[in-house]
Amino acid sequence: MRPAPLLVSLALACAGAAAVAASVALAAAKAGTAPAAQRIQGARPAAQPPLTPPSPPLATPPGAPPATTPSAPGPGENDDSATLPTPSTAAQQLYAAARADLLQIRMLLRNGRSQSTVGSGFLVGTGNLVLTNYHVVSQMALDPDVYIGEYVDTDGKGGPIELMAVDVLHDLAVVRVDRVGSGFFKVPEHPVALIQGQYLYSLGNPLDLGFAISEGAYNGAITRSFYEQLIFTGPINSGMSGGPSVTASGMVAGINVSKRRDGESVSFLVPVKYAQDLLARVARQAHPPRNFNPLIAQQLLAHQREMIDRLLAEPLSLKAMGPYRVPVRESQQLRCWGRSNFRAEAEFTVDAVSCAMEAAIYVSDTQQTGHVSMSHQYLRSASLQPLQFSALASSRFRVDRIGSSRDTRLTRPVCSEQFVHTATLPVRAVLCVRAYRKFAGLYNFTLLTASTDDGQASLQSRLDLAGVSYENGTRATRAFLSALGRRSRR
Amino acid sequence: MNGPSPGVSPADAPPASASAAEGPWFVEILARSGEVLQRQRVEALPIRLGRGYGNDVILDDDYAAAAHAVAELDADGRLVLRDLGSRNGIHHRGKRHAELVLGGDTVARIGHTAIRIRAAGFQVAPELRDRTLHRWEGVMPGAAGILLVGAVSLFARWLSDIQYFELVRYFEALAWGIGAALLWSGAWAFANRLFGRHARLGRHLFVFGCGLLALAACLLLASLLGYAFALEGFTHYASHAATLLLAGVIYFHLCTIRPGHRLRYRWLCAAMAVLGSGLILVANVQRSGRFSDELYMWVLLPPEVRVSPDHGIDQFMREVDGMKEQLDRGRGRKPGEDEIEN
Repeated sequence: MRPAPLLVSLALACAGAAAVAASVALAAAKAGTAPAAQRIQGARPAAQPPLTPPSPPLATPPGAPPATTPSAPGPGENDDSATLPTPSTAAQQLYAAARADLLQIRMLLRNGRSQSTVGSGFLVGTGNLVLTNYHVVSQMALDPDVYIGEYVDTDGKGGPIELMAVDVLHDLAVVRVDRVGSGFFKVPEHPVALIQGQYLYSLGNPLDLGFAISEGAYNGAITRSFYEQLIFTGPINSGMSGGPSVTASGMVAGINVSKRRDGESVSFLVPVKYAQDLLARVARQAHPPRNFNPLIAQQLLAHQREMIDRLLAEPLSLKAMGPYRVPVRESQQLRCWGRSNFRAEAEFTVDAVSCAMEAAIYVSDTQQTGHVSMSHQYLRSASLQPLQFSALASSRFRVDRIGSSRDTRLTRPVCSEQFVHTATLPVRAVLCVRAYRKFAGLYNFTLLTASTDDGQASLQSRLDLAGVSYENGTRATRAFLSALGRRSRR
Repeated sequence: MNGPSPGVSPADAPPASASAAEGPWFVEILARSGEVLQRQRVEALPIRLGRGYGNDVILDDDYAAAAHAVAELDADGRLVLRDLGSRNGIHHRGKRHAELVLGGDTVARIGHTAIRIRAAGFQVAPELRDRTLHRWEGVMPGAAGILLVGAVSLFARWLSDIQYFELVRYFEALAWGIGAALLWSGAWAFANRLFGRHARLGRHLFVFGCGLLALAACLLLASLLGYAFALEGFTHYASHAATLLLAGVIYFHLCTIRPGHRLRYRWLCAAMAVLGSGLILVANVQRSGRFSDELYMWVLLPPEVRVSPDHGIDQFMREVDGMKEQLDRGRGRKPGEDEIEN
């Protein structure tokens, strides 16, 4: 359940719903690290609301002048504007005071200087530093040879930006511009104490239509994501990413980051304390780093250390599936869902449990990582002949692809396969690993197992670890594999 | 008329002996393949050839002159074909001849017509040994082939049937199987009628049935061996065994059409198998960067067939640790320059 980053992508945008639909499909297909549970057929209940695919680029007609209303309404514009509450006088005053420090951040293709993505940002205090989201400037961070950035202010004046620091885990970035702020946006030394229900005002440039302010309420912090985020019950749209959310007094409470596509006005903010940490880091560094890829790799390595440590902090809990014992981890971050084909017209029964982290780390438009998922399916039949059952179990054990083989950001999978005996259960185990080409020390692990103890029942499990170090990958794999077991017979 | 004799070749034979140079004579008009299209008996020399009605042998060929050539004995008693001043002349082996000595196997081209002249005393090649089982023709092998195909398709249907039993699904499978058999064998029977004398549909059906059975058995055996002995290579490369079997099936179809060229067909089918396997390897590399058909062995069979021992988790994880080096080597390469894996 990845909330959609609020980023208007104009890359190759074609107007029209067909293009949007195509890019949604593309984005879904490219999500190499999307929870594997979704790929294992039937691992999710029908009752669960449809999950948001990683941010599909919202199309705006190419050639429409920036910051003006395009003649054709962009997708998602109509319904959102309908729900926008009438701005209060507080909002009017806030916007009037803030507009001088509010910027739009654009990523441009170096060749041709056409814009690729746009987001928002704001000048901090009276300095020349601008806070925004990492995902707004990710292209510039990953491929500085291809992309450059620029800002545009509320008066339409622009200038170059220089990337100073990124925090991939909290989705923050600091850029330097050639102007200074008026001092309106104050990033407090100590985070402001927010009360649930308190009004917050979110600023930015939604859908590249022009600068806007939207009013909403603070509704506490969420614990489902790996890193703390604030819930903002108010409309935030693509393009407002990186914009500030402030209290009525102009104190920055958080930075706009994402919203739930399946919800109504359920938006998320990055708490301002992480922005303070990042600003402090910028203050310490003498000059901006030349290459951000090793820094991002370091941050991702730190993330996976924390993630796997948390996963393996205590032994995985065991669930019973028929005679088998399967390891799962259920926590605030790792949610499990169950499903069965009961009452389907088939000669066999399959029960499936899948657990997946609801958040992943956004690295680029097409790459998300730092993710764990595990799933189990217990397949059995009383009426199928052993050979028939074998054919069924084989077809279920056949996973076509472990991520796309054409995904050039990862090396090709290298696999080990063996018949392995855990403490109480013999299984066929297959482990495939792919390495990240850009981020040294990071790998994707996929473990597939199928029990080999029974001709009429099969327990098939899968563990996916995206963006982990080799040591942590093998550690988690070993823990998962060792925990697979079977109740002693009679 | 008659099938081509196996000795047909446009090679220059030594001049016919004196005893052979006696009538009656036979003028044969040949197809490119060497088959006789038309044979005409002429009692005595000289034989006049051309498009005009005053000839002994009339050539219905717009490129032949009215009086094109004449066949007669020369001073040495050899049979020669002499050009009568035509525009297009007489050709043999790509060269124009004003006068061409005719052996029994010399094929001359007049206009667009290939011609051979033989005396009654010409020695034909000895008869071939008949290895054909004449009782195993027609309905019997046809029925056996259909039975085999039906059995294999029903088995395949049964194996993958995970829904509640419905007879119509099995009928469907049967219909598809037999339909495919008739289509495939029908094409071969057509070729057989074209190049041989009979269609031999029954024989072709039988070949197809046996081939399908062998293919199914081969795939099952590959799975069984791979799973039982943990020899993953059997399933990783099963498609090559299937290619070899397919080439074998084609070999038997070809032999049914023309039993005379077994050796030639063997080479041809071996070449086809090698080509097919090569194409599979190339396609696999192109698709996934590996030579093998699959990323891992996904076959699961009942526990009773397992022979190989289980490994411990430590052993498995040691193998996993061994993969790191290869992965890190791959990391440094550009996407297109990865090593090809097995």
